[in-house]
Amino acid sequence: MPKLNLEDLDKISEWRRRTTMLREGAGRAKVTVHMGTCGIAAGARKIMDALLRLVEENDVKDVILTTSGCAGLCSREPMATVELVNEAPVKYVDLTEEKIGAIFREHVLGGRPVLEYALALGSERTQ
Amino acid sequence: MIKVTIDGRDIEVKEETTILNAARELGIKIPTLCYSEFLEPYAVCRICLCEVVRGKRSRLVTACNYPLRDASVSILTNSARVRNLRKLNLELLLAQAPAAKIVQDLAAEYGVTKTRFPIKNPDEKCILCGLCVQVCENLVGAGAIGFSSRGSKREVSTPWGVEPETCILCGACAHFCPTGHIVMTEEADERILHSELTLGPNAAISIPFRQAIPNVPRIDVEHCIHFKTGGCELCSKVCPKDCIDYQMKDEIEDIDVGAIVVATGFQDFDPTPLKQYGYGKYANVLSSIEFEQMNNAASPTGGAIVLENGEEPRSVAILHCIGSRDENNHKYCSRVCCMYALKFAHLIKEKTTAEVYQLYIDMRAFGKGYEEFYHRLLEEGVNVIRGKGAEIAPIGGKFGEEGLLVRCEDTLISKFREIPVDMVVLCTALEARDDSADLARKLNISKGADGWFIEAHPKLAPVSTTTDGVFLAGVCQGPKDIPDAVAQGTAAAGQAMKLMTVGELFLDAAYAAITDEICSGCRICNGLCPYNAISFLEDKKVSEVNAAMCKACGTCAAACPSGAITARHFTDDQIYAQIEAIFA
Amino acid sequence: MPYRANMMVCAGTGCVSNHSLELKQALEEEIQKRGLTDEVQVVPTGCNGFCGAGPIVVVQPDGIFYQLLKVKDIPYLVEEHLLKGRPVPRLMYVPPEEKTPIPKMNDIGFFKGQMLVALRNRGMIDPENIDDYIARDGYRSLAKVLTTMTPDEVIGVIKASGLRGRGGGGFPTGIKWESCKKAEGDIKYVICNADEGDPGAFMDRSIIEGDPHSVLEGMAIGAYAIGVSQGYIYVRIEYPLAIQRFRIALKQARDYGLLGDNIFGTGFSFDVDIRRGAGAFVCGESTALMASVEGRPGEPRAKYIHTVEHGLWNRPTCLNNVETWATVPVIILRGVEWFTSIGTGDVSQNPWGGSKGTKVFSLAGKINNTGLVEVPMGITLREMIYDVGGGIPKGRKFKAVQTGGPSGGFLPTELLDLQVDYEQLTEAGSMMGSGGMVVMDEDNCMVDMAKYFLTFTQDESCGKCTPCREGTLQMLEILKRICEGKGVPEDIQLLEDLSHFVIDASLCALGGSAPNPVLTSLRYFRDEYITHIRDKKCPAHICRDLNVYTIDPELCLVKGHGCGVCRRQCPDSAIVGEKNQVHNIDQELCKKCGVCLDVCKFDAVKVA
Repeated sequence: MPKLNLEDLDKISEWRRRTTMLREGAGRAKVTVHMGTCGIAAGARKIMDALLRLVEENDVKDVILTTSGCAGLCSREPMATVELVNEAPVKYVDLTEEKIGAIFREHVLGGRPVLEYALALGSERTQ
Repeated sequence: MIKVTIDGRDIEVKEETTILNAARELGIKIPTLCYSEFLEPYAVCRICLCEVVRGKRSRLVTACNYPLRDASVSILTNSARVRNLRKLNLELLLAQAPAAKIVQDLAAEYGVTKTRFPIKNPDEKCILCGLCVQVCENLVGAGAIGFSSRGSKREVSTPWGVEPETCILCGACAHFCPTGHIVMTEEADERILHSELTLGPNAAISIPFRQAIPNVPRIDVEHCIHFKTGGCELCSKVCPKDCIDYQMKDEIEDIDVGAIVVATGFQDFDPTPLKQYGYGKYANVLSSIEFEQMNNAASPTGGAIVLENGEEPRSVAILHCIGSRDENNHKYCSRVCCMYALKFAHLIKEKTTAEVYQLYIDMRAFGKGYEEFYHRLLEEGVNVIRGKGAEIAPIGGKFGEEGLLVRCEDTLISKFREIPVDMVVLCTALEARDDSADLARKLNISKGADGWFIEAHPKLAPVSTTTDGVFLAGVCQGPKDIPDAVAQGTAAAGQAMKLMTVGELFLDAAYAAITDEICSGCRICNGLCPYNAISFLEDKKVSEVNAAMCKACGTCAAACPSGAITARHFTDDQIYAQIEAIFA
Repeated sequence: MPYRANMMVCAGTGCVSNHSLELKQALEEEIQKRGLTDEVQVVPTGCNGFCGAGPIVVVQPDGIFYQLLKVKDIPYLVEEHLLKGRPVPRLMYVPPEEKTPIPKMNDIGFFKGQMLVALRNRGMIDPENIDDYIARDGYRSLAKVLTTMTPDEVIGVIKASGLRGRGGGGFPTGIKWESCKKAEGDIKYVICNADEGDPGAFMDRSIIEGDPHSVLEGMAIGAYAIGVSQGYIYVRIEYPLAIQRFRIALKQARDYGLLGDNIFGTGFSFDVDIRRGAGAFVCGESTALMASVEGRPGEPRAKYIHTVEHGLWNRPTCLNNVETWATVPVIILRGVEWFTSIGTGDVSQNPWGGSKGTKVFSLAGKINNTGLVEVPMGITLREMIYDVGGGIPKGRKFKAVQTGGPSGGFLPTELLDLQVDYEQLTEAGSMMGSGGMVVMDEDNCMVDMAKYFLTFTQDESCGKCTPCREGTLQMLEILKRICEGKGVPEDIQLLEDLSHFVIDASLCALGGSAPNPVLTSLRYFRDEYITHIRDKKCPAHICRDLNVYTIDPELCLVKGHGCGVCRRQCPDSAIVGEKNQVHNIDQELCKKCGVCLDVCKFDAVKVA
């Protein structure tokens, strides 16, 4: 019996891809949590934790979580931007853990922007 | 077979033939420095570079190892381009190894007489052709030398520059070295002897001596590289008839014969222990047999009498009685020395202009014409000195390379003399062979205290022995010269013939017989029989008498404890009857 | 929990020498202190190639490139970038002659012009983790080959791709494999030549250190195609990290059954052993390398038999370079069409017809971005030097570039638009070699450079054949003579004759290419030789024996007030002058050491 068959190779690849994909900067969706001083003060940390948990719970492999600095709209923090490939980025404001859960399910996984939490559509891309 | 063109000449050769070999077939000479037909081409000197032209394209290859594979190529071995490369190559070699004669000669052939490059070491001879390393590793199989360092620091060396344990001192490297960079040198006090250098058959394969029968070479297993390392096999590579067989072994053959003539001769007395004569130590101190060999027209010197350095001697001393007539060695006279010493003197006078000195105890010139020969020599101007040579000392050089001094007492004028000579010949004693005792035991013949075999009767049976059918001839019976040996040999042959021509033996009616039923197989008789006539039959467990050998001495019959042996015609009953008749 | 950021710390030899491992430790400690251990992963990677900027950390997924980092920068970096999400401009790369930092790795000229094939996993994976390699399609080519292709199909693909040996010769890999497959013999071998000997070149080392599995996978594919069950990696002992990475990779691959018996259950078995070389340049030559693997002195053999028929232990052997092996899996995975779309020429009829794919070069010498780059074949020297390499430092003028290692030729300004491919480089008198690229500017003396490279090849000559041993030695003597001002006009012709002789007559490619620097410098910079010989002058003032040092009296007095530093420093007491007075150099005594030039703060010492 061979030690490793083709399915095993796929499994290893899939499993490991979750960590390495990050390095390639290519995923289906990218969620940027704005973690400037203002954001952190307003609770961006909790939003980040929630997102990380959600990714883990849903066993999502193609979503990149990242952070950025202050987005310039400090009064509406915590903020996050969701970008889907080939779609305009959507900026969400005044986030809570519940809100980000809904956004994750509807927008990140479902592809339907949650307009009620959104600040605007088609803001600047973060590449 | 493929057809190629070399320097405009067509030739058909087997595929994979090298350019070098193909050119040689055509008689075209391509120079080489690192090539030997006995080794895989090493192709490093690059002197043999030639042009291989295929259509319009030309390529440079080394002739020594480039295999001809396709037809329709033409090869230029001496084009302008090739010549220019060779010239530059030789010019570089002249700078690297200016003392290598082979390079100088080849360079001169190409019109290169001096090099434009700086010379590192004017005495350098090694051109790093690698022949020595190749031969040591691939032919000899010793792997005792190799290259060390790299690039322009490359040199031939032993591992770590120390004496290698794997070197078998075969000298193959020196033999293959084309420049004389590698030479065999002498160790401090151990000299390579005169005989080994010029006279001895010192190759490991040779005809043992000139008149050997069969007259074919044989391998000296003790010195043959193949039997030491498993390598070499050079002789089989050069033998055109594939005669060399390394599997061949010494064999013992059984031959049934009716008569044996013992003619085992003598051995030469080894004068080495007589330190006063410096044999084996001083240059140009020879034993008589070595001198005799040198005089042979087929010798390495071609029969010329020369010193170790190749020059003719100006004076020669011949010392008689070395080992004979000597209380410490052999008391007997070797009988032949006086006459051959005179012959030597005659040869020296004939071949050279040297002074000859004969140092003798007594001049024993008995026999027909011998005394006359002695007188003739005196007339030829040979100096005879009555007195035994006492000592030889070197005059110049540690080993007397520049001359020897012979010391003796001239008993006729009662004076101590010192004679300067270039060469000394020692007339060594004839002595019985070391294995004569073995042979005597085997043939049941007797030998004297000196080791010579003893004849059955000194006057009445001079060639017979105590064993019937065994005869003696020549020096094994005692020192004698050639006419005497021939005479004795002829007599021995006659005795043997006498047995053979009859075809069958007439036995004496009287001989011992054993009655099987009574014999207990005790074997007492076996050892007692002086004629080896009784043997033990393993299958019947009884002894048996060979009637042909029995001399009817009666020893066995007298000794037999069970009375199983009867001496025929001398039975107890017959003897009792005779006794009765006497007293009747 | 997945990570939200990866800190890719370069652990190539260059960066490790610049303390990147201490940096990694500091990063990990700082991340722990900030409670980010679950969110941020620190990954050691192979060489990024931009060694001049080391130590390097790339933050992914943003692709922010930090250079020349020190341990004391770490707390700030972690706080700003990882905690607050604000990249730190002062730690970023700033192009020469500019002021604005470039945050993203892929926007930096050095990286932008590159195309990563052999180096595809550079900076992206942990070279000591086989899972990282598998995650990036590692061993997928081997799986594809073993389960869906016949050996002949594999050879067909490699032949059609036009892949040529990346180690120097440029022999079409597919043809080599095919000949080895056809050669008679039950036992055959594949060998990976990792005996990278060119000074300043580290393409192979970088690949092994950064992505050892790509080499193993390539070897396994080749082994399957040729019918081989044993491979060897010949790597020099001077590459300890590479050896270690190979050992780890071999163990991991064996543990996974990607090497060993019955790989993927296909019945194909293949294993690889490491053979360490002592680091002789000549051992990069195939027959010398094989002799060394066999345990004999590493010297090339003179035989007109190809190693694909009679190689290692006289058995058919296929030897390819590290980069070639590493390229193979990509070709299998991405196809011939993709590979042949890169590069020059047309290989559809003839594998010699062009140069396809990419080539890794190591940029060195007078160039801003020294390091390792992988570029498509056919890139011009100008793009290579000015776009990827960032031009010549301090705005000096380009003079020549040497390609292909110490035996490569010098290419002058006129040839800057030459396309880098096998044929064009050879035609110009240089070669692709294994991909060394040394840039020279107006301050370099070409005679001196020729001497420098010949010193190396002469020293590395094994000495087996006369032309290489004696020829290069005498060439070097002549060059030394010229540089000392003892040259005679005939020397130029003699040099040329010797060069052609060494090329034509030498046994192996070492001698066959060693005179290239001399020949090309004679071809393109002949006037410099003439100046050295006739005028006894070195235009670049490199050959000190030809220099004349003088003191400008005005500068010495007016600016330096006769400070006397030169007089005190001169080891030969050749400088005379009273304090506060003009100083002078006694040319009789001057040994031309140049100390005065170095110590004079007022530029009063002139050299001519």
